[in-house]
Amino acid sequence: MTSTLIQVNHFSYRYNQETEVALKNVHFEVASGEFVAIIGANGSGKSTLCNALVGLIPNYFVGFSEGSIIVDEKDTAAVSVGELSQTIGLVFQNPFNQLSYTADTVAEELAFGLGNRGVPREQMFSKIKEIAELIQIDELLDKNPLELSGGQVQRVALASAIILEPKILVLDECTTQLDPIGSRQIMNIIKKLNENGITIVMVDHDMERVAKLADKVYVIQHGTIVLGGTPEEVFCSPHLAEFSVNPPDYYEITKKFIKPGYSERDFALTESQAISLLQEVILYEDRNQKPQA
Amino acid sequence: MENINNSIAVLVRKLNPITKLLIVFCLGIGCLIYPLPFVGYGVLCLLVILGILIGQGKQVLKLIVGFGIPVTLMLLFIQGLYSPNNKTMIADFGFAQMGLEGTMYALKISSTLLIFLAAFYLMLQTTKNSETVAALTQSGLNMKLGYLILASLNVVPQMQRKVKVIQEAQESRGVETSGSFIQRTKAFLPLIGPVVLSSLTDAQERGMTLETRGFGISGDKPTSYIKVETTGLDIVLRMIAICFLISSLLPRIL
Repeated sequence: MTSTLIQVNHFSYRYNQETEVALKNVHFEVASGEFVAIIGANGSGKSTLCNALVGLIPNYFVGFSEGSIIVDEKDTAAVSVGELSQTIGLVFQNPFNQLSYTADTVAEELAFGLGNRGVPREQMFSKIKEIAELIQIDELLDKNPLELSGGQVQRVALASAIILEPKILVLDECTTQLDPIGSRQIMNIIKKLNENGITIVMVDHDMERVAKLADKVYVIQHGTIVLGGTPEEVFCSPHLAEFSVNPPDYYEITKKFIKPGYSERDFALTESQAISLLQEVILYEDRNQKPQA
Repeated sequence: MENINNSIAVLVRKLNPITKLLIVFCLGIGCLIYPLPFVGYGVLCLLVILGILIGQGKQVLKLIVGFGIPVTLMLLFIQGLYSPNNKTMIADFGFAQMGLEGTMYALKISSTLLIFLAAFYLMLQTTKNSETVAALTQSGLNMKLGYLILASLNVVPQMQRKVKVIQEAQESRGVETSGSFIQRTKAFLPLIGPVVLSSLTDAQERGMTLETRGFGISGDKPTSYIKVETTGLDIVLRMIAICFLISSLLPRIL
């Protein structure tokens, strides 16, 4: 039986010096082991929601909030961000914000969070080695984190969050500085982490990826969740365009082939779905052309 | 010779940062307490020799000449000519007389400043900031205070990087940032605002990061990745430093 790990209960938030609310009556739940994607246009409130999930709102940011967020049975407003960090980890949109700026090497950077948790030094080595191999940064361990490229820092940032073994990982556009191959590698790792039981909440603009990985998708606009459900439900919604979100390109392309007779299915959102749909189309054409020949 | 220099450099690098801090403190304070300035200049010579041995001679000399000579001349002018403690006159310039007491005092102050400067410089060149803070926190310094020291030490290179980025951005839009002193000053002044403001924003974001990475979490005793060892050489050097401090006190007591 899957339990609920995150409960966002009619949560609203307004930054101190702003007149408009950043989050308005946001209400959803995330079950243990689920992969949830948050999508929406720039400035819609995705990062604010991430900050709220890890407790930075209302503990760190000054503002006005209503409702509650319960993470692993803890009210985020009642416990410190540090305490919550034992359950929920955040990978910031800007990877340079993830750095502690106290480490002379990447290994020291990764050890920072472990040190705060009181992990013995001997255990740190094995954990750092394990995570560095997983994220493929083992060659960077002796380098200064401030002298790395954006993509390399993004990997270090992700590693610094994963090394703390949180139950929930919140990823705020965590592959923006990576090249397509690096981005795919990181997503494969995240997928593997999810398969191992870690709950993922991911903010992303890559709709193909969202359709492929997410169990549930929430569309956010002007701080409100306007659409939610499975990727199929969300991306096939006739209202999607109203929220400045486009479905995956595969959906648009394969829609042209979906007509009575070609396929039983109604849509293709992912690469594998699109391939099998095209195979069905080819087979259909073959079947219908051979008798004429 | 190069091998000897390298092994001395390695030896100095391996010293416990607390030992280095103690040596800096004892040398500086000891020379300040000792009544005559000559001990200070002797120690300064030793620091220059150490600098040369570990491959930092040129930089130490540059620091001493660049800072020491103007400061010493200024102190000699003020204290030597106009100190109220001047009783024994050693030179007459017509417009003012130079007193021995003021001159000695000026030399002592300048030698102490130069010792602190050179010793701190050598320490920073041979010690990683993170090692210093790890050593301090392992000796019982509050973790948050340790972070504060480390973040402050690291803020200068970060700001330098930021200045470079902003400078490049301005250059790409046609702003002249090189050339004569006046031209560079003109280009540099508008940079101060964005650099300071973005540093403040960075500080806020860093605070968020620290929180999400469990900094200052109650319950767990923090541990460190960096192991700082105290060797026999550390203990001997610490004892020598303390003896130096006590011996510089003796002329005052006796």
